[in-house]
Amino acid sequence: MKAPDLELGLRCEDAEVRIGAKALLSRATVRLAPGRVTAILGPNGAGKSTLLSVLSGQREPTAGRALLDGRPLRAHGMPALALRRALMPQESAVAFDFSARDVVALGRYPHRLAPAPDEDAIVAAAMALTDVSALAPRVLNTLSGGEKARVHMARVLAQLWHPRADGAARWLLLDEPTAALDLAHQHAAMRLLRGWAGQGVGVVVVLHDLNLARRYADEVVVLGVPDIPGGLCQGPTAEVLAPPLIEAVWRMPCQSVVGADGIEQYLFG
Amino acid sequence: MSQRFPPRAVLAGCALLLAFALALGAVSGAYAISLPQLWKVLASLGQGAAADKSPEYLVFVNIRLPRLVLGVAAGAGLGMAGTLMQGLFRNPLADPGLVGISSGAALAAGVTIVLGAWFMPVLPRTLGSWTLVVMAFGGGLSVTLLIYALSRSEGGTRMALMLLAGIAVNALAGAGLGFLSVMATDEQLRSLQFWLLGSLGGARWSAVILVGVAVLLSCVAAASLAAPLNAIALGESQAALLGVDVERIKRRAIVVTAVAVGAVTATTGIIGFVGLIAPHWVRMVAGPDHRAVLPASALLGAALVLVSDTVARTAMAPAELPLGVLTAFIGVPMFLLMLRHFRGRI
Amino acid sequence: MTEERISSSLVRRRDALRLAAAASLGAAALPLFAQSPEAKKLPRLITVSGAITEVVYLLGAEGQLVGTDTTSLYPAAARGTPKVGYMRQLSAEGLLSLKPDAVIATNESGPPVVLDQVRSAGVKVEIVQADHSWGEVQRKNQVVGRAAAREAQARALQVKLDAEWAQVQQRVAAAQGRKPRVLFVLSHSASPQVSGEKTAAHAVIGYAGGVNALGGFEGYRPMTAEAMATAAPDIVMTSDQSIEAHGGIERFWQRPELALTPAFRKRSLVTLDALLLLGFGPRMPAAIAELHPKFMAAVA
Repeated sequence: MKAPDLELGLRCEDAEVRIGAKALLSRATVRLAPGRVTAILGPNGAGKSTLLSVLSGQREPTAGRALLDGRPLRAHGMPALALRRALMPQESAVAFDFSARDVVALGRYPHRLAPAPDEDAIVAAAMALTDVSALAPRVLNTLSGGEKARVHMARVLAQLWHPRADGAARWLLLDEPTAALDLAHQHAAMRLLRGWAGQGVGVVVVLHDLNLARRYADEVVVLGVPDIPGGLCQGPTAEVLAPPLIEAVWRMPCQSVVGADGIEQYLFG
Repeated sequence: MSQRFPPRAVLAGCALLLAFALALGAVSGAYAISLPQLWKVLASLGQGAAADKSPEYLVFVNIRLPRLVLGVAAGAGLGMAGTLMQGLFRNPLADPGLVGISSGAALAAGVTIVLGAWFMPVLPRTLGSWTLVVMAFGGGLSVTLLIYALSRSEGGTRMALMLLAGIAVNALAGAGLGFLSVMATDEQLRSLQFWLLGSLGGARWSAVILVGVAVLLSCVAAASLAAPLNAIALGESQAALLGVDVERIKRRAIVVTAVAVGAVTATTGIIGFVGLIAPHWVRMVAGPDHRAVLPASALLGAALVLVSDTVARTAMAPAELPLGVLTAFIGVPMFLLMLRHFRGRI
Repeated sequence: MTEERISSSLVRRRDALRLAAAASLGAAALPLFAQSPEAKKLPRLITVSGAITEVVYLLGAEGQLVGTDTTSLYPAAARGTPKVGYMRQLSAEGLLSLKPDAVIATNESGPPVVLDQVRSAGVKVEIVQADHSWGEVQRKNQVVGRAAAREAQARALQVKLDAEWAQVQQRVAAAQGRKPRVLFVLSHSASPQVSGEKTAAHAVIGYAGGVNALGGFEGYRPMTAEAMATAAPDIVMTSDQSIEAHGGIERFWQRPELALTPAFRKRSLVTLDALLLLGFGPRMPAAIAELHPKFMAAVA
């Protein structure tokens, strides 16, 4: 992989989101490059989801700005953004009884004016990736939490399925995609995301599980760090996730261990 | 599990139902027109002034046919608007009345009927028999505008606010109607009551053509809303992330609903139930894809109104039953039957 | 008798002529509902108004009656005729299906679109202006007589009714003493209404030698206790149907609004059938004749 050119990335500068007197996010500066998995971590209320929504363009910061490839997100326009970036929300209540396949197919909505030759195949392949093919005809609202999450993940994958003709990087943003998944599916999902990052997609994922982050993320953005302007710390995973910082941010005693496969993991309590 | 019928089959089925309802409506009526006579009338329809003006022809062309066309327009407009509202509010219990178009029209009708002679004597002079229609249409649009304005917040329109504003304003309109009923004479009360129960009896060609055009234009404008409404089912923010201009879709849906339902209600009074039920029926057999539900609801709504009106004008001939009563009497049992059969898919 | 023989020979001659005419006429655009001048048959009528129906029966034209509205309840035979519905919500096809030659209604009937449609099918639609005067009754007579082709009988009836009217009006004018204050209460629905000026009741009260206890407004208003106390009617006038709706005379007097009125103290009440009282039909002289003595008794 050639060295990432940071001008061609997704970033926000001094972004602040304030509602009334309360600041959900203050002075956040984050620079992301494609081809990597970046995990956003932090305790509850630190502003992880808010940061993600600013980076996706879903939310306009009350101060500061968010840029993609050097241009403000608003300047790209939402329809154009939808062709390059997908956001999997933490929760999504779907109205009416759309089937799982219907929901995944909705991920292709941004492409309706210029459909790929293999639209149906894309939907089927995306569902196979997240192991929900068997659930295709079932009504989404009757599925379990984990099954719903995997369907929504298939949807965002379908949205960004084909690499772009102009070579611009695609961005996959996910807000706690593993929260409802069982162990096997959690790791399968993270491996899947690593695979996509390997193909040049920029993957940004909010996680609450530090061990998953340590194992699968190339770099992390930790929010809620005390004694730092903006409370934000970004850097390669191994460097940033040192037990002293973890203890300072999450206020839990933290012990680092190295597993049989040589990857550092953490013990708490 | 889901054995939904393919959208084309459902559309074809609904079109067939509508054709059947049209045929039924054409041959039925208080005035007896036998099949051979009807055939002759239909054959001479295209001949214009040279056609034989038998009494059957006059009755069919001046009284029954405009009624059938109005029924189609009314049912299509209501079915389509019901689908739009349910898609917009992301709730299968929504109906066109939520944005106040029906209650606004009703209030304006009440004001015209009860107070008209008193403080608006100019209007009947200029508008003549169109007074009630124009007032009802204006009233419906005004109330919709009010509710829309009340639901604006931070540059966007919040559906939750619209729902609450709609409930409040509808209640106010109801109170206004109550007040008017107290002030009304017996005769005015009766007139208002009949208006509120709905009827296709006021169908003259000029009005029918206006309503037909309004509904047709609305349906055409609504067609492009089907795919975005599917995306909106995922949630407004998710739809925005998929590139849907949610505010524009909302505005267009509300305008289309206001124009279609306003035009229909102004001409026919309140026809309840169709806007709520038609989309449900379609979803039960075709699934929730708006690209199928929108056109099929229009067709099915039209069929329902036609069948109800046919019963309304023949069950107690030579008198007529109010249409709104019949759409409920016919619609509800059918709905419950379908509910039983398609229970598993709800 | 002679009339019939002459007209039947006329029919035979006309029949022959008609056959010849039909052959050469081709597609004539004559509305076939209209009474063709050669036909002997009497015009078929639909009446929309109780009073107008009464006139039809009085003229002996009930055989021509093919339909009436829901307010046509007198005489009893009228209830058996086909009902075309409530007078403000008529159905064009319904009316035409009875193949009438004429529809006679008051200006309160509707919807206007329906009446237009009936007219455009060639049926005569005669509208009588309801202005709550004796002239209204006279007009109803005339219109029915004309539409039913019984003008002679109508004229005779008019003379009779005019005489009755003159007689009863004389009696009313001759009455001595102050005119009683009369309150008319209408109560077919939950809230009773009382009538001000420009109502049928107001006119009837005047004709029967009373004075409307309420003034200064037109039409109907809800009955309130204070307004009734101010109005201070000597006698309350209402319809049989209103009393029934209340559940009887005793329950009627239990209404709190009436408790403060002079009428309540003497239980001065006069009730008549609604159609008789307010219909402005041929029985009006009789209605006035019944009301007047009761009015006078209230201030005796």
